[in-house]
Amino acid sequence: METVDISVFSLGLTFLLLAIPVALSLIFGFKLIKPLFHSVIRMSIQLVMIGFFLKYLFLWNNAFVNLLWLIIMITVAVFSAIKGSSIKIGKIFIPGFISFSISTFVVVFYMNFFVIPINNVFDARYLIVLGGMLLGNSLRGNIVGISTFYKNIKKDTKNYLYVLSLGASHYEALLPYLRESVQLALKPTLASMATMGIVALPGMMTGVILGGASPEVAIKYQIMIMIAIVVSTITSVILTILMSLRVCFNKYGVLQQDVFINSNV
Amino acid sequence: MIKFNNIHLSYNGKEVIHNLSFEIKQGEKAAISGKSGSGKSSLFSMLLGFIEPGEGQITFDGVPVDAKSAWDIRKRTAYIDQDVSIGSGRIPDILDYVSGLKSNAHLDYTNKKFNDLLEYFELNSDLIGKNVEDLSGGERQRLAIVISVLLERNIFLLDEVTSALDIHLKKKVVDYFVRKEDWTCLVISHDPVWIDNPSVKVLKLEEREWKQ
Repeated sequence: METVDISVFSLGLTFLLLAIPVALSLIFGFKLIKPLFHSVIRMSIQLVMIGFFLKYLFLWNNAFVNLLWLIIMITVAVFSAIKGSSIKIGKIFIPGFISFSISTFVVVFYMNFFVIPINNVFDARYLIVLGGMLLGNSLRGNIVGISTFYKNIKKDTKNYLYVLSLGASHYEALLPYLRESVQLALKPTLASMATMGIVALPGMMTGVILGGASPEVAIKYQIMIMIAIVVSTITSVILTILMSLRVCFNKYGVLQQDVFINSNV
Repeated sequence: MIKFNNIHLSYNGKEVIHNLSFEIKQGEKAAISGKSGSGKSSLFSMLLGFIEPGEGQITFDGVPVDAKSAWDIRKRTAYIDQDVSIGSGRIPDILDYVSGLKSNAHLDYTNKKFNDLLEYFELNSDLIGKNVEDLSGGERQRLAIVISVLLERNIFLLDEVTSALDIHLKKKVVDYFVRKEDWTCLVISHDPVWIDNPSVKVLKLEEREWKQ
């Protein structure tokens, strides 16, 4: 079964639907028109560009180019995660980049080697698409996890120093904060997993079905990707935090003053 | 035992401690007093490695406080800050956490010693079922003191630990520490129960000299 293509004219009809939020915004004074059009135009331009780019990427299907593109995606994801966390980019970019790379590559290659029966593990259709799914979905968890960890220690400085004064090792003093931030980072993913299929049909499953596959195949892909997202989120959050400790804390185990963009955090 | 040599400390470009030197010998009980913002609490923070002095050196048993020795000093001292930061949540969870730290594996809050301490400091044993947030300021201070004693360390750094207690309890706390001859106690307080105690020598930061 082939996916039914949408003509440019038909796609234009979709934009007509925006008349509804525009009208509602005018009636209730939401002031949403400008941000709505800004986001819709930005999304459309970005997707058109990536559509063309992916078309050639899939056509060439060169392992080196595919890997390079995944690395670029990881770089952008790390920037976005740090930007949303109120931590200075210079402080945790390298730990974040290494952590995201490890978690993405390990999980994607595991799927491509052992789960999906493909001959070329560098195949753009799987490497880039799966990598993108993982990065996109673990991004929010990473933002929550990293910022919770550092903000909580800053907010709780006196109790944290009290634990150090009790003779705790740096690891012992940090562990409660690490636990809390990882739990919070995973909460949205675990919640969406628990309601998946009942409350909503997940994006990937919808995509696979629209792509012409049977619901049975779509379900298998969806289960695979959700497990991959949980694994990559938990791995990247923990690794980023652990690898950033050396630059964010001094040798006495005290959080550096210059970790946050805004010192009033 | 604890020596502050020519210490300078600045916050935001303003010098709060200027060329301060003093020494505490083993078994001594000393109270530091001074006006607000004179850097009293910072002395403990520097000794424990939470902040570093701008100039000067602190030694603990002859060893300079640095990024390596600070971790060992924390295992040998019992510290209570002026806000009595002992964590939040249920008291048994806090006690479990403290005793779960490798350096405090010997701490047992289910034994007789713990109950004796609760009794001495006039804390009701029902307290154990409560949350820290439900305690009064005085109960928090006394619980922090009980934990510090249970740590079985003999160097105490106590920052305004009797400020929320009535005179009867203040005296009991001071007596408890003063009568332990082998304990070294460095206390930050303006309280006459510490300052007027004949066993406690007093350093007024403004005057920079000890008075006994």
